[in-house]
Amino acid sequence: MSSDHAAKTISIREMNKYYGNFHALKGLSLEVEAGEFLVLLGPSGCGKSTALRMIAGLESISSGELLIGDQDVTEVLPKYRDIAMVFQSYALYPHKTVAENIGFPLKMAKVPQAEMDEAVRAAAAQVELDGLLDRLPGQLSGGQRQRVALARAIIRRPAVFLMDEPLSNLDAKLRGNMRAELKHMQNELGITTIYVTHDQIEAMTLAHRVAIMKDGELQQLGTPKEVYSNPANLFVAGFMGSPPMNFVEGEISSGQFRAAGMSLPVTGFADNAAVTIGFRPEDCQVVEAGTGQVDASVYTFEMTGDQSLVTFEYEDRHLVVKMPKDFEIASESRAAIAFDPAEANFFDTASGRRLLPAA
Amino acid sequence: MNEWLDRHMGRLFLAPAVTLILIFSIFPLVASLILAFSRLRLRGGGFTMRWVGFRNFEKQLFGSEQFHLLGTFTTVSILGWIVGLAGTGLLIWWMVRYARTRFHWVGFLGRMITFGIAVGLLWLFCATLLSGNPFGTVGTTLFYVFVGCGIQFLIGTALAFACSQKLRGRTTFRVIFFVPMMVTPIGVGYTFRMLADVTKGPFAGVWQWAGLGDFAWATDPWAARIFITVADSWQWIPFVFIMMLAAFESVPRDLVEAGDLDGASPWQSFREITWPHVMPIAATVMLIRAIEAFKIVDLPNIMTSGGPGIATESVSLQAYYAWRSLDLGQASAVAYILLFVTVVICVSFFNLVVLSRVRAQK
Amino acid sequence: MSTRRPGLFEPRAIGQMAPATKILLYTILIVWAAFVLFPIYWLLITSVKTPAAVNQGPFFLPFIDFEPSLHAWKELFVIDYEDTLRAYMNSIIISLSATALSVLVGSMAAYALSRVDYAPNLITILYFVALLAGVGVAVGIYDVDWMLATAVAVALFFLLARAVGRIYEVRLGNGDILFWIISQRILAPIVVVVPIYMMFQSVRLLDTHLAIILTYAVVNLPIVVWLMYDFFNSIPRDLEESAQIDGATMIGTFREIILPLSRAGLAATTLLVMILSWNEYLLALFLSTTKAQTMPILVAAMNAGERGVLWWTMSVTIVVMIIPVVVLAVILQKYITKGLLVGAVKG
Repeated sequence: MSSDHAAKTISIREMNKYYGNFHALKGLSLEVEAGEFLVLLGPSGCGKSTALRMIAGLESISSGELLIGDQDVTEVLPKYRDIAMVFQSYALYPHKTVAENIGFPLKMAKVPQAEMDEAVRAAAAQVELDGLLDRLPGQLSGGQRQRVALARAIIRRPAVFLMDEPLSNLDAKLRGNMRAELKHMQNELGITTIYVTHDQIEAMTLAHRVAIMKDGELQQLGTPKEVYSNPANLFVAGFMGSPPMNFVEGEISSGQFRAAGMSLPVTGFADNAAVTIGFRPEDCQVVEAGTGQVDASVYTFEMTGDQSLVTFEYEDRHLVVKMPKDFEIASESRAAIAFDPAEANFFDTASGRRLLPAA
Repeated sequence: MNEWLDRHMGRLFLAPAVTLILIFSIFPLVASLILAFSRLRLRGGGFTMRWVGFRNFEKQLFGSEQFHLLGTFTTVSILGWIVGLAGTGLLIWWMVRYARTRFHWVGFLGRMITFGIAVGLLWLFCATLLSGNPFGTVGTTLFYVFVGCGIQFLIGTALAFACSQKLRGRTTFRVIFFVPMMVTPIGVGYTFRMLADVTKGPFAGVWQWAGLGDFAWATDPWAARIFITVADSWQWIPFVFIMMLAAFESVPRDLVEAGDLDGASPWQSFREITWPHVMPIAATVMLIRAIEAFKIVDLPNIMTSGGPGIATESVSLQAYYAWRSLDLGQASAVAYILLFVTVVICVSFFNLVVLSRVRAQK
Repeated sequence: MSTRRPGLFEPRAIGQMAPATKILLYTILIVWAAFVLFPIYWLLITSVKTPAAVNQGPFFLPFIDFEPSLHAWKELFVIDYEDTLRAYMNSIIISLSATALSVLVGSMAAYALSRVDYAPNLITILYFVALLAGVGVAVGIYDVDWMLATAVAVALFFLLARAVGRIYEVRLGNGDILFWIISQRILAPIVVVVPIYMMFQSVRLLDTHLAIILTYAVVNLPIVVWLMYDFFNSIPRDLEESAQIDGATMIGTFREIILPLSRAGLAATTLLVMILSWNEYLLALFLSTTKAQTMPILVAAMNAGERGVLWWTMSVTIVVMIIPVVVLAVILQKYITKGLLVGAVKG
């Protein structure tokens, strides 16, 4: 058990991981503040889980430094790092009861039985597991197992929480509930948390800051709002948002962005032969053909209940527009997409980097 | 201290096993090799050793013990020549094909050793069995391994397949079929001797009726060998059975059901779905069984004492008899020849059959 | 469409077998069961026959064919009870201890191999084997005192191991270690038993329990490692990583998480090793003379030279040898297929 319950900072400095010749994590540097909820977000295989496992001490650090609080833990064994981890599979011990599962960290720390029972009861109450303490994990529902895993993590009051896709095995409805509870609990306990997920909604809702990764490299670090509205590159822009941002490739010359059947004025951008414009489905409207920025034919029309999605076929790609729920349009009909060029993002097609207008 | 323990626990976990194997397996192996090159005399509690080089092996392979280990091959019959040459040709073609397609010196060296042993055993087979000459303990051991394991595999697999079907009472059959494995090999040997007794055994009536009332199976080489094989099979079919049963039960049900929907007949479903799934396991089970079969010693010792003559003597038994007559050098040399043959055959089988199957599936 | 009575070769309902197939399968199973059970039955009735009943020809049914008698049982358990009970106790002590040792050491090694990465240097290993051979030659052929030779070899090894290892670096992996351990099973006991005999003779442990226990434990180690390695590999790593983070040591994880989850595998392995040690004959023949004699030796002793084979008492000894194994197998029965499954499927 940690002697002080104060949340700790985490400093990751130029952390690298090699598996043989494979460079799985490329010089990750991150400063996590005390009590912060940081989400590592990215597609599978982007190195986010590797990074988390390195912080946990389950994978060795090939090069670089890792500090928890002001202690260098680069070479320290997991059990001396004062961390707790929740696994995607929950990693509950199938042969131990709920109480034994929750109490396991204390048992390993040789805490007296009476004190342990008290702590188990308190932790179970915190995640609303009272009355299930004598069950085996096999007799619990998915949500309950998730709570057991959480209780086991909080019982020790660690300095750091590590969570590896903890909600991805739950069904959609439960996931929403648990997300809210998790956020509430983290807020209440004030424990520094690093949370790995591939689900951008989880990232947006839970995080104080999001770190987006791809191919072992950090793409952007910022608050959910920042990464959503000011994506640093094409990858981040395409990854955040559902449905994702629409992209059209074209060029900028003399203050005009041009693409097939599309031309709009842009100010402050230098001439560039390969530029990609990006605009979000919710930032545009479906209008009469000829009155918007792009004319295209409707590919499909979908009702999701709270909104309508109109997919256009433009050149050889699809563009999606989010419309209010009472909007209707027939497939195959011609229409136009209208959006405010000021809200669009421009990217250098070759490097993927976002282009910013000269002030 | 605690942290040091945590960090080195991996080695400490492995250390006892490695130490035990080093003391009781590797050291004896090295010592045995030295013995195989020596002549050893026991003398009042102690012993003296003299280095004799390859003389022990010479005696076994080319000298006065050749008839015992390998067999007698004075003449080679026409059939022997034909089969031998044809087989050698096939093996050479196999080597050439390998060398042409994908050459790697480790693979080539390994295959050269396999090739050498295969040619040697092939000619041994042609010069003894096919030419009507008696063969020695190597031939007898190979008979136990190949014929015995073949029978055990066929029957064990068939029984396992039958028991993997939805039949009432199959659990009872399972338990019954497992019983022979629990009987000590010594017991199996003596029990089958009892059963085979032509005058006092349970089948005495049958023997009398067939006019074999005074037949002594222990005096006919082939009858004796087959009888030992029957006893060995009785004991070891349960092993194949239980492993193959586990294999059959691990075949995913939805695969079989998908096959049914696609209109596969039971036979097609077995051949196309079940068999490919259990094949790698079957190869492993056979490898284990063969490894154990090479060591056969209890049954021939108990049932026939290796007789008539040396007809049922296995290589292990020959080494044991050599030890009993205090000829430790010869005993070690014979044991090493057995080890060499076993290792080459088992490793070849593992590399060429088991591993290639595993690779093919990946 | 009128319903047709299904034929003999067609299933009566979905998921069932055709009656003909069913009959065929049952015939095969029953015939085989008879083949399996008859020798056991013959053993049982022979054990209650008098020498006369055995010698006068085949009798099949007790009380009908012949009058059963406890003659042979009395001979073993009343008249010669000392020898019988000693052998029985020896067998129990030896097989239990050897199995416990083998399963413990073997599963520790298997667990370590399935979880920890090792990279031993091939050259260091070759150096070690060379030293071992040197000790053998020095002791065997040049009559050097074995303690002195071992001490020199050990000293040389630790002094020069690092230097030698640096000459040329070829690293082996876990797979190689695993293969090395499992391949020990290829060794026929006859290859190693003579040096083992001499080794125990030189430390005066011949004809003791310890000698046989150690030898059996090592002989069966490959089986334990092979079966348990696959079993441990099938246990999700998450559980241990979680335990590790929660503060468990490797021993703690092994005891609290791994062993309880491997019950099926342990049961199957234990049973197999137990059967093999209980029934082993050749090694016991070498390593025991009187005090440490085990049951198989006693069985063979019933082949009493001048009087021929004492079939009746031999049957009794075989029967009493089978009983404990059957009891154990029945207790562990439900684990056997489950436990072997993992090893077999992945092996």
